[in-house]
Amino acid sequence: MPQIRRLPEDLVNRIAAGEVVERPASALKEVVENAIDAGATRIAVSLVDGGLTRFEVTDDGCGMDRDEIGMALQRHATSKLPESLIGEHGALEQVITLGFRGEALPSIASVSRLTLESRPRGADSGWRKVVDHGSTVADEPAALPPGTRVRVENLFAKVPARRKFLRTARSEYAAVLDVVRRLAMARPDIAFTLDHGGRRTLAVGEGESLEHRVSAIIARELKDNGVSISLERASEAGVMRLTGIAGLPTFNRGIADQQYLFVNGRPVKDRLLTGAVRGAYSDMLARDRHAVLALFLDLPPEEVDVNVHPAKTEVRFRDAQAVRGFIVSGLRSALSTGDRRSAQSPDAGAMGRWQSEPVNGEWGAGKAGGEEPTGPYAGERSLFAGEAGAGRNRVGEAAPAWQGEGTEMAAPLQGRVAEAGPAQEVAGDFPLGIARGQVANTYIVAEAADGLVLVDQHAAHERLVLERLRAAGSGASVSRAQALLMPEVVEMDEPACDRLEDAAGKLAEMGLAIERFGPSAMLVRSVPHALGGSDPAKLLSDIDDDLAKHGEALLLGEKLDLVLATMACHGSVRAGRVLRTEEMNALLREMERTPRSGQCNHGRPTWVKLSMADVEKLFGRH
Amino acid sequence: MKATIERATLLRCLSHVQSVVERRNTIPILSNVLIDAGEGALKVMATDLDLQVVENMAAASVDAPGAITVSAHLLFDIARKLPEGSQVSLEAAENRMTVKAGRSRFSLPTLPRDDFPVIVEGDLPTSFELPAKVLAELIDRTRFAISTEETRYYLNGIFLHVSEEDRPVLKAAATDGHRLARFTLPRPDGAEGMPDVIVPRKAVAELRKLLEEALDGNVQIDLSASKIRFTMGGEGGVVLTSKLIDGTFPDYSRVIPTGNDKLLKLDPKSFYEGVDRVATIATEKTRAVKMGLEADKVVLSVTSPDNGTAAEEVPAQYASEAFEIGFNANYLKDILGQIDSDTVELHLADAGAPTLIRQDDKSAALYVLMPMRV
Repeated sequence: MPQIRRLPEDLVNRIAAGEVVERPASALKEVVENAIDAGATRIAVSLVDGGLTRFEVTDDGCGMDRDEIGMALQRHATSKLPESLIGEHGALEQVITLGFRGEALPSIASVSRLTLESRPRGADSGWRKVVDHGSTVADEPAALPPGTRVRVENLFAKVPARRKFLRTARSEYAAVLDVVRRLAMARPDIAFTLDHGGRRTLAVGEGESLEHRVSAIIARELKDNGVSISLERASEAGVMRLTGIAGLPTFNRGIADQQYLFVNGRPVKDRLLTGAVRGAYSDMLARDRHAVLALFLDLPPEEVDVNVHPAKTEVRFRDAQAVRGFIVSGLRSALSTGDRRSAQSPDAGAMGRWQSEPVNGEWGAGKAGGEEPTGPYAGERSLFAGEAGAGRNRVGEAAPAWQGEGTEMAAPLQGRVAEAGPAQEVAGDFPLGIARGQVANTYIVAEAADGLVLVDQHAAHERLVLERLRAAGSGASVSRAQALLMPEVVEMDEPACDRLEDAAGKLAEMGLAIERFGPSAMLVRSVPHALGGSDPAKLLSDIDDDLAKHGEALLLGEKLDLVLATMACHGSVRAGRVLRTEEMNALLREMERTPRSGQCNHGRPTWVKLSMADVEKLFGRH
Repeated sequence: MKATIERATLLRCLSHVQSVVERRNTIPILSNVLIDAGEGALKVMATDLDLQVVENMAAASVDAPGAITVSAHLLFDIARKLPEGSQVSLEAAENRMTVKAGRSRFSLPTLPRDDFPVIVEGDLPTSFELPAKVLAELIDRTRFAISTEETRYYLNGIFLHVSEEDRPVLKAAATDGHRLARFTLPRPDGAEGMPDVIVPRKAVAELRKLLEEALDGNVQIDLSASKIRFTMGGEGGVVLTSKLIDGTFPDYSRVIPTGNDKLLKLDPKSFYEGVDRVATIATEKTRAVKMGLEADKVVLSVTSPDNGTAAEEVPAQYASEAFEIGFNANYLKDILGQIDSDTVELHLADAGAPTLIRQDDKSAALYVLMPMRV
């Protein structure tokens, strides 16, 4: 009979390392979190070969003295659970530091060569301890500025099983960069630098604002194309706070890699949160586009369990529904106002094209066919270079048209409407300005106090009709339940049935009445009227996929939204229809009144604004 | 092959068979009709592999027997445009078929007849006859309820089965999951022991078209568990053969309510018109009409978020307690459109239960409609 033995200490550490440290990025995350917990204001990370050969983290935190260094390398030794809490019931639930398990350093030390140097603030000298795969090889005084420096070399050099699963230096570096970016976003008050092989790839300063830090790290455009969120809600357990910056729906991406979520300053990947984000952006983004955002959720520590996974990337909420509702409502209210800001500018690529073409000497050179622009708008044609353009007009020919502004401006050419009203009419309280004309019978050109506004008439009207339909309660009428003559039995596996059964109440509100039918089948009693022709089995399995992935049945709502969107599409002004000035102005005014009118149902912008400064730039007047 | 034929005969015959031919085909020969010239007559045949129609037409003369296939739609369009009363000569030679009429000449590409797929009928043990009129009514009363949803293929047709109740009957039923239509007639001789079959939607549609021209006679029906054959117009008539849907039709008898105690009687025409009028308000996707049942009247109403509201009172005989129930207006109209008497009976239970609709207790047709939550 095999004997039960207690495992030796270094083996225990190595097993623990398997949970905490799986690649350089995860080891680095632990070390940087330690630096943050130590109260550092500057953290420098440098690595070689994506951290495979060596990485080093230097901070100016509180430091450790000789004894503490020794202790820090013991398992389950930490300073992060204060004396007062230990022994108390629920100590872990009140953790406010990033770490608390006391496992990371000894785990890393057991699978690499770890050099730990530290000098407490105020002490006149530092100490160094070097541990090579669990055995101490040096324990000596060291010279360094106050703070701590941790160097990890040859990670997994003696653990071939692990080493085999490491990727190339490049992809390990990508993982490291992601970790550092997330941590840097979480703490805008701390300066971070990241050097990779002698090249500085990230440098952010101390004490930055959240928006600044986030957009510096994600994308500079986010600051201009996002709304900042700041929302508090008091609950019985304490105050729940949501801050951060959310990209406008028009600023979207094909993959969801730029959604950064932080719970109590801790970067997490949680499907509840990603589901909530998708819910908030639903009907503003196409299903295959993803929002860009960084959200910081702060809530009382006892409301969230971070001790789900050693790497602490997953969290559990005590009241998940409340958190989800809070995020969705917070995001939606922020987005419903944010999209009317005047900062919505055309993207850099479009601007670039606009600026470069006149230099070629010939407008729309090399483009055949298409419509001929009217005189007044000839100078603007390069914006529509894709569809309009014929090689006839040269710059020299376009110029007279501009000079003839006074007389020709009013003359509609080739079926386009030109506004003849006085230019002084522009009032500051119309953010989208006064309509001046229509281009290609599709785009409204409006003049606002601070720039030139272009509106896609079909996209804009479609959105308005959709919002109107929704406000009028059309959502409820498409989701009316049509009862089935013969209830449909859909066989599914048991977990799927459990998930669907839990969501049954919510689905019933949307007209899909389902109930459990034995252990592994569901019975469909009614389907939403608008989806009456669809196959219940397919619908149910799609909804279940969604539930499994996002923890929420967004799909049914989205399908019904699609029906509404189709109705909206049929009921809206098409591209190519000539609009009268009054109609254009009415459309602009309604867009100003309607929330979320800044993007069409698929997340494309309904309007762009070219600021006066940009216009002047085009003419070299700046 | 060489034959001459009246333009009118050719046109009538082609119009029967050409609708079987799908407009777009991956197998080229399925776009063609087979023309087989025999003794004094031409046989024309079209198929889509599931359904085939064969028609015999009298030829003015057959000079050389033979068979060839040629594009159905092309030949049909040509026949349509030829002058009335002209004699059309068809002659096949060297992969071409020459069509001549008056001063027109067409030379059409052909495919060899041996490649033309013919449905193997096999043994059709059950055979009986029905008057064409009865068969046409059976189709009319039930086909509107046939499902168009491809995933539940077993609902894409009319279900025919025999059963022994107080007397032997043949029943036809169709449903799309929201409503059911059933037509019952006395079992014809020879139908006893008939297997349960589902006649596909396309075969039903083609059959109904063919019946329109042969309403006076009888239709000979031969079937097995997998094929069905309808023969109309006796010798020289039309034969339609179809594969049957290989599936199990749900046991629909369970959903026909028997205990609905609230009886509403009213004039189907004014009811239909009322529903149609109030549904004007409903948008395309929200066709719900609400019926408020009160003593001796029904209040029909529709509320639409963007189009306002509509209401209409329809006089009726109703003595049970007042309540409200909603239906899809289109479903209701489909059913009411089938009733051609002065009264229609609606047997209701409550706002969530299936509703039974029929002309009276003697009518052959019976409908069940599921309500909608409004």
